[in-house]
Amino acid sequence: MQLLPESVLVLTALVLLGAAVAVEAQSGKPICNRVAIVIAACGVVLAGLALCYVPVDVDSGKSLIVIDPLAHIFKAVVLGLGLLAVLLPPARGEIPQPGEFYALMLFALTGLLLTTGTNHLLFLFVALELASLSLYLLVGFSRTARAAEASLKYFLFGGVSAAFLLFGLSFLYGFAHSATLAGVADALGAGPPSALAVTGLVMVVVGLGFKLAAAPFHYWAPDVYQGAPATSVALVAAASKVVGMVVLVRVLMLGFHAASVSGSAAWGGMVAGWSPWLAVLAAVSMVLGNVLAMAQTSVRRLLAYSAVANTGYLLVAMSANGPSAAGAALFYVIVYGLATLGALAVTAAVERDRGNDSPAAFAGLIHRSPWQAVAMLVFLTSLAGIPPLAGFVGKFALFSAAMAESTKGGTPGLTWLVGLAAIMSAISLYYYLSVLKQAFVRDTPDGGNAAAGPTMSPAHFLAVALPAMALVVLGLFPALLLDPITAALVASLGLR
Amino acid sequence: MTPAWTILSAFAGALLVLLLPARMAIASRVIALLASLVGAVAAAVSCLARLNNPLDPVWSFDRPWIPGFGIRFHLAADGLALTLLLLTGIVAIAGVLFSWNVERRPRAFFAFFMTIIGGVYGVFLSRDAFLLFVCYEIVILPKYMLIAIWGSTNKEYGAMKLTMYSIGSSALILIGLVVAYGASGGTSFDIAHLAGAHYSPALQAWAFPILFVGFAVLAGMWPFHTWAPTGHQGFEQWKPVIAGLALIGIVYGALTALSQKDLKFVIGYSSVSHMGFVLLGIAAGTHWGLRGAALQMISHGIIAGLLFGIAGRVVYERTHTRDLTELREFDLWRTLPGAAIGFTLATAASMGLPGFSGFVAEISVAIGLWQFSPWLVPVVALGIVITGAFSLRALHKAFFPVRNATDTPPSLLPPLTWPEISAISLLIAVSLAIGLYPKPWVVLIDDGLRSPVFHSILYLP
Repeated sequence: MQLLPESVLVLTALVLLGAAVAVEAQSGKPICNRVAIVIAACGVVLAGLALCYVPVDVDSGKSLIVIDPLAHIFKAVVLGLGLLAVLLPPARGEIPQPGEFYALMLFALTGLLLTTGTNHLLFLFVALELASLSLYLLVGFSRTARAAEASLKYFLFGGVSAAFLLFGLSFLYGFAHSATLAGVADALGAGPPSALAVTGLVMVVVGLGFKLAAAPFHYWAPDVYQGAPATSVALVAAASKVVGMVVLVRVLMLGFHAASVSGSAAWGGMVAGWSPWLAVLAAVSMVLGNVLAMAQTSVRRLLAYSAVANTGYLLVAMSANGPSAAGAALFYVIVYGLATLGALAVTAAVERDRGNDSPAAFAGLIHRSPWQAVAMLVFLTSLAGIPPLAGFVGKFALFSAAMAESTKGGTPGLTWLVGLAAIMSAISLYYYLSVLKQAFVRDTPDGGNAAAGPTMSPAHFLAVALPAMALVVLGLFPALLLDPITAALVASLGLR
Repeated sequence: MTPAWTILSAFAGALLVLLLPARMAIASRVIALLASLVGAVAAAVSCLARLNNPLDPVWSFDRPWIPGFGIRFHLAADGLALTLLLLTGIVAIAGVLFSWNVERRPRAFFAFFMTIIGGVYGVFLSRDAFLLFVCYEIVILPKYMLIAIWGSTNKEYGAMKLTMYSIGSSALILIGLVVAYGASGGTSFDIAHLAGAHYSPALQAWAFPILFVGFAVLAGMWPFHTWAPTGHQGFEQWKPVIAGLALIGIVYGALTALSQKDLKFVIGYSSVSHMGFVLLGIAAGTHWGLRGAALQMISHGIIAGLLFGIAGRVVYERTHTRDLTELREFDLWRTLPGAAIGFTLATAASMGLPGFSGFVAEISVAIGLWQFSPWLVPVVALGIVITGAFSLRALHKAFFPVRNATDTPPSLLPPLTWPEISAISLLIAVSLAIGLYPKPWVVLIDDGLRSPVFHSILYLP
């Protein structure tokens, strides 16, 4: 029962592959995009239904696969984000074999689902690689020169980071004589952390930093965002990032929660440990991501650097090392995923209409397609953290939780980092607004204001409308998601 | 009618305007006017109710919102908040009337306009720091759009500059808020809770300036309400600095206004000078000072609305220039007498002539300052003199130019429309009403100053 959703996904993928082969054998042409999307989407929805029947239980520390409340929530989230990515259709003729493409999407989702629900180091690696290998292929699937470059970069960086991760995990096993995170925590509780554990931890953080596109492990992101098919980017940017965050939370909060190894990044009270490293990664990511995003002339690349910057905000909360901060980070990464996915979907539509994805291509979007412009407004202002959208609540929760966890007794705590994050977040409004300025203030240069705007298939419409609605609802009623996440985190990881 | 109708009417108006079909776009101004009227009437009714029953508990609305962070949807309206609501309502009506003839994308214009009004109402009513911050930030984007789309000269640059200033200052406020949240135990964002918490002097010493600068950058839409919570000590420590900044603001603003060529820049710098009085009243920290600060905020809201409305809408709409020397050609006194009369009265109010609201406010601040330190009062007097100078100079150059008989006669300008006349009369009437009979306003303001939030800096029996 525990693997029911994953089984559904794999079965659907096999059905899809079979159907693709059959259609191609019969008609000589590959299966059409629309049919492949419908089959894949049905598979994801069925997997979501199957998830309702999966028994939820807290990890006993013995099993490879755990469906604790945290895993349960995030499997649902990953399926939701995966569905939105599936719904975002590729451009005409962009994908040569839709059957294989969507089967790979389902395999990637399977890997991501498995990754959310394990506390076992080796299984974690296997599941993560299942997802990663599918993603490498998905990125290069359109077979253009750009996509090939993106795929190669993604693969090379990903391969090295996977090596780091595996190497680090083996060190942890050597230290703890146990391949579970609970075992690592026990070993750390028994005595001071040895060099073996520290080395292992550093390598694991490097490996996960790549997944999350934290600077300085972010070099793949701009090329992947720009070169890969929008559908693949949506999966990499949203679902894969959410999963990376879940893994980071599990590893740090379950395995390395002990103060002896977490250290402290507090101002004037710096103690060596993972907390100050994450703080440095966060600061570098925020500064680099935001500054470089300002210089971009491609909205996709802009979103890539904004991804780096947003990872920085997430790491700010993680470096506070507390359950409410981690809960806020998990909430924010979902909100971020929705906003980025939606922004990519609108960008894809504009790109197909105007031929490129520069901010100028958005000029006059409000006249050409008002609702797409409004959706873009929702996504970008949510990313910039403007109320009443979910991105604002997410950032606010992130910052206030980080402060509350770190400033006990009136010490400055993480004020320096939260302050930097708040200022960087303010700066980010500049480049988001420069896109919105084109969409709302400028007119279409060729005077095509009255012309029909970018048309969209129903699936594409859903991929834009659903995240936009979710961001508004979560912005007005954040407790709907924030409270369950924090409760699940506390229940799953045994934190107070 | 409870004060909640102010927020509801504004946001409902914005939504209704957006839902209008394209062919009825021009009806959006009617909807905006009705929504503003509902808001203003709700505020006025609530003000009267408060005046009649001053001992009733204040109206409030309190529901949990984000329990995980102790955030509540908490609105409450004491007398001070009510006067500011009424001010917002009046200015909203005048704003809609001044913008009556906006023809370019009217639906978007009035939707953004009403969103801003709703956000401002929300700022005045919020009793939860998170909610306050939401309302504070909600206006940033509509403000950008209003300026960037419907602005006049150099609009995209100006809009982006203002937006970056606003978001930058709100980042500082955010830092201050989360610091206060963390230091007060991380359980609640309620303003009274934050105000009642005990903060170590060390924390106050570094946290207070951050929050203060954040609010000061925006020249205090509603300044003291929220930074007051960070505590008496930080405030005491920084009082002389604030007073100094305020005095510099008054004199510097007035001096800069003296040398401007653009009529709108004159008004802009005079605002800097006016807001200096608000800051000064707060820095004085006495009852008179705070009362004067509140009065000045209200008075400035009315007068600045009037000045900008006449210079930026009524005159600019017809002349397409705001340059003081170019305006000379139009001989506005003869071609647009209504605007000239309105601007003259507004200038009188802005200079703080007795009978207008500005006088009541500035004299209160001066009394408060005298109680704090008599030596600073002459500097204020200097500021008032320069204010007179630049106001009269601008008025003279723009509306009453010296013209020779040989000059080409000015072209005729379209006369004032009814909406414009109503807006100008409304604002002048309110300024006169406050100036001639300030008692109800003072009673309501004092009611607000008695609230526990101000106990840390001021105790009233």
